[in-house]
Amino acid sequence: MSKTTLIDTTGRDDLSIDASAVNSKEARALYKKRAQIHPKLAHGTFRNLKWAAMAVLLAIYYITPWLRWDRGDGRPDQAVLIDFEGRRFYFFFIELWPQEVYFFAGLLILAAFGIFLSSALFGRVWCGYACPQTVWTDLYIHVERWIEGDRNERMRLEKAPMSASKVGKKLAKHTLWLLIAAATGGAWVFYFGDAPTLFHDIFSGQASTPAYLFIGLLTFTTYILAGSMREQVCTYMCPWPRIQAAMIDKDALSVTYRPDRGEPRGPHKKGESWEGRGDCIDCRQCVAVCPQGIDIRDGDQLECINCALCVDACDEVMRKVGRPTGLIAYDSYANLERRKQGRGTSYRLLRPRTILYGTLMTAIAALLAYGLATRSDFELNVIRDRSPPYVRLADGSVRNDYVFKVINMSALERRVSIEVSGLQGARLHATGITGGGPVVIGARADGVTTLRLHVTVPPGIEAGTHALRFTARDLSRGDETGSASAFLAGANP
Amino acid sequence: MANSERDEATGMQTTGHEWDGLRELDTPLPRWWLIVFYASIVAAVIYWVLMPAWPLGNGYTRGVLNWSDRRNVAAEVQALQSARAPMFARLADASAAGIAADPELQQFAIAAGQSAFGDNCATCHGAGGGGAPGFPVLADNVWIWGGTLADIEQTIRVGIRSSHPDARLSQMPAFGRDGLLSPRQIGDATEYVISISMARARLTPDMAAAARGAAVYQEQCASCHGVEGAGDRRIGAPSLKDDLWLYGGSRAEIRRQIEQGRGGVMPSWEARFDAGTLRSLAYYVHEMGGGEPDATPTPPTPPQ
Amino acid sequence: MWSFHKWFERHSLILLIGILVVVSIGGLVQITPLFFIESTIERVEGVRPYTPLELAGRQIYIREGCYTCHSQMIRPLRDEVERYGHYSLAAESMYDHPFQWGSKRTGPDLARVGGRYSDEWHRAHLEDPRSMVPGSIMPPYRFLARAELDVSRMQDHLRVNRMLRVPYTDVQQANAVIDARAQAEPNGDAAYDFEQRYPGAVVRDFDGDPSRVTEMDALIAYLQMLGAGVDFSTYQAEAPENQR
Repeated sequence: MSKTTLIDTTGRDDLSIDASAVNSKEARALYKKRAQIHPKLAHGTFRNLKWAAMAVLLAIYYITPWLRWDRGDGRPDQAVLIDFEGRRFYFFFIELWPQEVYFFAGLLILAAFGIFLSSALFGRVWCGYACPQTVWTDLYIHVERWIEGDRNERMRLEKAPMSASKVGKKLAKHTLWLLIAAATGGAWVFYFGDAPTLFHDIFSGQASTPAYLFIGLLTFTTYILAGSMREQVCTYMCPWPRIQAAMIDKDALSVTYRPDRGEPRGPHKKGESWEGRGDCIDCRQCVAVCPQGIDIRDGDQLECINCALCVDACDEVMRKVGRPTGLIAYDSYANLERRKQGRGTSYRLLRPRTILYGTLMTAIAALLAYGLATRSDFELNVIRDRSPPYVRLADGSVRNDYVFKVINMSALERRVSIEVSGLQGARLHATGITGGGPVVIGARADGVTTLRLHVTVPPGIEAGTHALRFTARDLSRGDETGSASAFLAGANP
Repeated sequence: MANSERDEATGMQTTGHEWDGLRELDTPLPRWWLIVFYASIVAAVIYWVLMPAWPLGNGYTRGVLNWSDRRNVAAEVQALQSARAPMFARLADASAAGIAADPELQQFAIAAGQSAFGDNCATCHGAGGGGAPGFPVLADNVWIWGGTLADIEQTIRVGIRSSHPDARLSQMPAFGRDGLLSPRQIGDATEYVISISMARARLTPDMAAAARGAAVYQEQCASCHGVEGAGDRRIGAPSLKDDLWLYGGSRAEIRRQIEQGRGGVMPSWEARFDAGTLRSLAYYVHEMGGGEPDATPTPPTPPQ
Repeated sequence: MWSFHKWFERHSLILLIGILVVVSIGGLVQITPLFFIESTIERVEGVRPYTPLELAGRQIYIREGCYTCHSQMIRPLRDEVERYGHYSLAAESMYDHPFQWGSKRTGPDLARVGGRYSDEWHRAHLEDPRSMVPGSIMPPYRFLARAELDVSRMQDHLRVNRMLRVPYTDVQQANAVIDARAQAEPNGDAAYDFEQRYPGAVVRDFDGDPSRVTEMDALIAYLQMLGAGVDFSTYQAEAPENQR
């Protein structure tokens, strides 16, 4: 497996390639400079799956901000919008306020369990197909391949002396990369403002400084992470490979070389017998296509993102040499063991772990859906002034002060009547008003109306904390909401 | 490097410095470090050109940007003032009721007042106007010098017993310390004051002493505090009928007040605040809960 | 090259002197110009030397380590000016030896605390800070009200300050002990003479105990004059010479 071994290609199937796994344990000494990886293009099921995943994910990312959703006058018509200035999050028919971030917490929990479940079932499918780092790196490699050619041409170009053609190719590649990076950063900011307006503003130089800053930042990170960092992000920066070890079990599927079938490996000449040897002809195609620079035949490795491109490469070779495909395939540790014991391959997708994850996800999703379906668009928050805790008045009565926040999430203004109940003799009133009774206010549409009111209780109230309740009722619509609070009275001086 | 040589183990050049047989490797500085180092030098030179930097005789190089902290802060404060100016102008001729009727103006006045109160007033009067012994509670509905917006603003502006020429002044005699009344008379007056106040419910005055004290009260105290003890805001004499006491409501504290005639000092804030801040501050205090409507005239003093 | 280097590196005393020379150059380049640059040596109307009582209060302020939590320097930043008042001028510290600047504030800045609160507040606050400011972490200084002010070294204090170019007169120095007491005794015999010697200083019983002159008197007298000297209603902050 050493790099310097020249493989004799004479008389062999014309399939072998001089590829070395630059990130294999032997090849990567401490302090060694990173070796550039030149992945070869693979063809097959998983490559096609990756193309499809890339197309769908990129489409979602770039198109989403441009989707429109009519919400009526004066409200944004962007389907997905994070409006920091207006403190709202819009997602199609859903509109969330800052205090409802628990929905995001729920979504994050759901996402976490989702990745646990997918890991338990199919190993690192997230890393292999959906992770932005993978998608953009794949896109960048494709651009590179389009301009500079496939693996061998790229390696030749790398070694070639500087020439006009080389400079031109490099220039073209980096320009395209930068354009993609800029489009990536540019699309990001569209989620935070009205996309068509922002699009116009960005090109006419009228967008805000943070907008340009974020475009610049994300352009830079996209360019660096997908252009030059690539597999190093997965190997050194991402925590997931470390967590992954705890998430998969012996039944989880992951891209696996089947040594029971492949070994002993060795070059194979056409017409030679397959008796007494493994199916692996040591052609190194699996290494050549690997974007992570490893040799899958060394076993499960931290660097492997399970992109399954080696599966495609190997299957192609197996078909050509007339052996069954699946020498490298999605397989589990359990199956390796089973085959060692002479038992057949079996896939256990339903396991306590996967059932638990599935159940939890269903429960959380149901809870979120319930919360969303039943959430009220009318709320009353009451904050008791703590300083001073209570005020004694000239006639011996005791007063507490409260700040009321009437939250009206509906699109229409409300006439709201606020009342106090639950405490004998308690009188709710504004400053300087001697009468009692409900306080009627207008609560503005799609906003919070804040006001400070007082509750006065006649002389003789016992020292200590008393419970009371405030109720806000919409005078025209009739719906009401409330908030429990406390009334504090102190001993006499 | 005279004694420079190659180190066998590492293949690195040494500096040639030798200490008791120990030699120092001449490992080059990391490239990123060097880049940062040279960039810092370049940045320093750019800074010299742009910003005030080199001392010269009795001045210094001003820099191309002509930076001045003093000018910047003046401009920032000016910008702040102009930003507040339109609201301050609206506040200038607004009454308490007028401010209350304008939610935008009200919100502004309370926010501006609250911030000024927190920085300047809360140290004595407590956060939220809770007061402290000797420093009046502002959140209640008892006012020594009046509780309308105009009264409160005037008090903040000129202060109480301050150095301002129009300061609100009142001076209760120290009946005990200056020997104006005998200790026995003071005791009687204390009982009488308790008997006419709402404190009688918890302190149980000695009625015989209170009866003797009534005469002392009418002779010495009624001219300011009123025949019935209702007080007089025009001269800053507090009402004695309620159960709220500036220096504490125990029998001993009430007596000590008659003996010593304590009166606190509130500074004048006219020089520290502009008119708009003064009005906001007054409105904030007014809205703590005890503010009185503008229209209500001060309660007439009971006939003597 | 190495032989010259060796000379430094192998003789500790020479190395020490070398370090001293290099550091001094850096220090002198920074410090010396401040003695000549106009904006640091300007004079401003209203700044006067401390009276003996205030000076004694200042010594107590330093003795008790007030400076570890309180700075006396309002920086030219909008929010500081909004909170504390006009930014501090160099001239306002011209008679401070040593100055009480700083940027480390556990408590608030005190550069303009003078006149902001009443004497009574300061007394109550120094005796029990939490009775006035509930959340305060300042330690109580009750003993100041009990400790009689030691004025025996007052003349020496003034003399040392004169050596440092604080313009006290011979008469002021001679009467330092009398003046230190006079400022806290409004009904005393020396009050009138004191006012003649220190125009602009306030004669008042600061600690609410007219019978004695205590350390509390001195400290409150000092606090009540902090930053109150310059009349900023007439100070031309916008004048070009003040915008350096």
